[in-house]
Amino acid sequence: MLNIVFYFQVHQPFRLRHINVLDIGKQTDYFDERLNRQVMQKVAEKCYLPTNKLLLSLIQKLEGRFKIAYSITGTAIEQFKLYSPETLDSFKALVDTGCVELLGETYYHSLAYLFDTNEFLEQVDMHRKLMQDEFGYYTETFRNTELIYQDSLSDLVYEIEGFKTIITEGVERILQWRTPLYAYKNYSKDINLLLKYYQLSDDIAFRFSNKEWPEYPLTVDKFVNWIDHLTLSETEGRNQFLNLFMDYETFGEHQWAESGIFDFMQHFPAEVLKRPHLGFANPKDTFTLSNYQQEGLSFPEPVSWADEQRDLTAWLENDMQRNAADTLYRLLNETKQKGDPALLEMARKLSTSDHFYYMCTKYFQDGDVHKYFSPYDSPDQAYIYFISALADLEERLH
Amino acid sequence: MKILMFTWEFPPLISGGLGMACYGMVKALLALGIKIDLVLPTKEMVYFPLREESDADTLPAVFLDTTMQTEYLSQRFVNLHERLDYIGISGRPESYLQLNELQKYMAAVQKQTWFSESVTGEEHQIWDDMTAHLIGEEDLIKKVQEYTLRAERFARELDYNLIHAHDWLTYPSGMLARKISQKPLVVHIHATEFDRAGGPGDERVHKIEHAGMMYADLVIAVSQYTAQMIMSRYRIDTAKIRIVHNAFALSDDTVLSKKRLFRGPTVLFLGRITLQKGPDYYLDVAERVLKVHPEARFIMAGTGDMARGLLRKSASKRLQNKFLFTGFLDRAQVEEILRASDIYVLPSVSEPFGISPLEAMAFGLTSIISKQSGVSEVVHNAFKIDYWDVDLMANTINHLIEHPEQCVKVGIEGMHEVNKIHWNEAAEKIREIYSAVLAAFIKRNS
Repeated sequence: MLNIVFYFQVHQPFRLRHINVLDIGKQTDYFDERLNRQVMQKVAEKCYLPTNKLLLSLIQKLEGRFKIAYSITGTAIEQFKLYSPETLDSFKALVDTGCVELLGETYYHSLAYLFDTNEFLEQVDMHRKLMQDEFGYYTETFRNTELIYQDSLSDLVYEIEGFKTIITEGVERILQWRTPLYAYKNYSKDINLLLKYYQLSDDIAFRFSNKEWPEYPLTVDKFVNWIDHLTLSETEGRNQFLNLFMDYETFGEHQWAESGIFDFMQHFPAEVLKRPHLGFANPKDTFTLSNYQQEGLSFPEPVSWADEQRDLTAWLENDMQRNAADTLYRLLNETKQKGDPALLEMARKLSTSDHFYYMCTKYFQDGDVHKYFSPYDSPDQAYIYFISALADLEERLH
Repeated sequence: MKILMFTWEFPPLISGGLGMACYGMVKALLALGIKIDLVLPTKEMVYFPLREESDADTLPAVFLDTTMQTEYLSQRFVNLHERLDYIGISGRPESYLQLNELQKYMAAVQKQTWFSESVTGEEHQIWDDMTAHLIGEEDLIKKVQEYTLRAERFARELDYNLIHAHDWLTYPSGMLARKISQKPLVVHIHATEFDRAGGPGDERVHKIEHAGMMYADLVIAVSQYTAQMIMSRYRIDTAKIRIVHNAFALSDDTVLSKKRLFRGPTVLFLGRITLQKGPDYYLDVAERVLKVHPEARFIMAGTGDMARGLLRKSASKRLQNKFLFTGFLDRAQVEEILRASDIYVLPSVSEPFGISPLEAMAFGLTSIISKQSGVSEVVHNAFKIDYWDVDLMANTINHLIEHPEQCVKVGIEGMHEVNKIHWNEAAEKIREIYSAVLAAFIKRNS
């Protein structure tokens, strides 16, 4: 049996205003209320609301056989409440079906794991509490920001937070000859690992509307046929998992409605379910479905799902990113010691990884992707606003 | 006495020290009763007949074309800004742009004008040099060409005793006016290409600067430092050079009181972020000081071609949130940043004068200024250090941070000193120069 595991990332950062040195000490609000409202309302209209509606109807129609998972960040939930409460309601309706799994992550979609273990654990706890408060849901599967993962992360997530499964990128340099279709264990064999099948995930997320792509247009028949072919190899009854992980904004935002992405999603599940050897599963189900001795995989260095390199270079490569991150985590620590909750909340909003992504200077194709997602003119501008905010934060601390 | 004055910058058409200096100087000359017809790089063919001190602020304008003048006079403008828009004073001019490529020959000015009767061989040579080098496809060169072509009409139609041209962009116009009117020419050196480029710079500009100084009856240098440069680099006869230091005046409504942005000691660089101004030395100084005094903050205020490189370099030095860039600042923002700072640093590689330190001192900032500057000749209550001596600059800042009472004391003494530097003294000197040039001119022609 091959189980398709859909997981969608739902995230919106609090984007910064154009903060200048002259704003320092003037109790300026760091975040661009107008822009953030605008983006949230646009994405809600183009993506969240129509996609939620579609998926809810599919879940109802297919009577529990279609399953999906979301990871929804704390900053996204906060902005739903501020700018689009109906979006939050529609997610609640989805969770209430029982076919939807919510994943755990850092509340602020941050890189805290790489800089400050305590901060990381606190943000994970905050997120778990938020999921309980908003959806009455206790998270069992973990995904770190941008699928960043390495061995030491699994120790924290398993031993301290008690998660049972972690999902990350199916990086070839780790998998080598193996297929991402099996469930694996972490290096110490304590916790389940699910690996993104990035070719097929990216066919939907990145290539769906690309007319230069030889496979364009991607039809349901074609895609299900490819999936069928994956099952041809001898599995001796072992359950496999096709992990299709992507940004939720793929639907209607990155791939516009005109591209036919909604039609595709509308017909895809039923087509899959026509085949007895195919089905859908949630990430947490794999824990019970794995009917074989799972191999342990070691990730000595961090991986992620970003760009060609699938490493940390999208957020932490150039000097601006590194200087900004060093400064932020020093200040986060000092803010915590100061014990002012309002300041701590601001500092944590600055920990959202998008701020570092905007400072990325990698060029070629990946650079274009970064540019598409950035609200600023240039990485340098993004850096100036961020570092000016940190200069102001430091003044407020003392 | 009436002067035909050519300059590329005048407030609000301003990008740096040249505009500030011309404004202060013109205002003080008007106060002495000298009349000035000012020609700026405007879109429309206009000049500014300045007769009273207040005209320097209101900028009355006259179109050379009578129909356009009638139309202009019929317009109602809400404010000065709107009126200047009509004339076509737009944005910031490019006086400080560097020209890098020498392109194909284009003689912009009609040669026959200069090859008339009674022209000496030497004059020929100077003209050839100027016209042969006023070539190129760059926007700036084209603007200078156009400005020069227009100068012919101003030179013929206006009535004046003497011509005064500021910096190389207007030298061809000054030369042309002198040729046409046979009136004496004074050229004013605010900066040479060597200063601007922080190195050899563009040869065409050297040639035009040289031609202008050679053709002029007298050359005014803004400092001893610049006079030396003119003598050694351009081989201009010492007897032709006069030194008139710039001055500085705060407008009456300026607020000087401190208004801090940072609790810690705040150090300021204020100027174009370009090789001439030594911003890279400032970064090195900041790195050294922050190792000893992490509570200090360094502000780099301004824009320029080195801004992006320095931003990245400051990040690579991991100066955290302690070395900050402001980007472009307007006038009010400049004053805000001055009020917020304690120590001003001018690490210029070559600074003919440097009005900005005077302004900083007027705000009570303790100043560290490059020895390679003209301003260091006129102020005493400031630290004068070679631009390359970053260790000494860093040690000085450390000392000032550790002895705040001394820092404040030097700042206040500097403030008192700068308040005594007035444009009217500079204007007096310029008036004497005008008189001497006119006397010599009359003597020569009688």
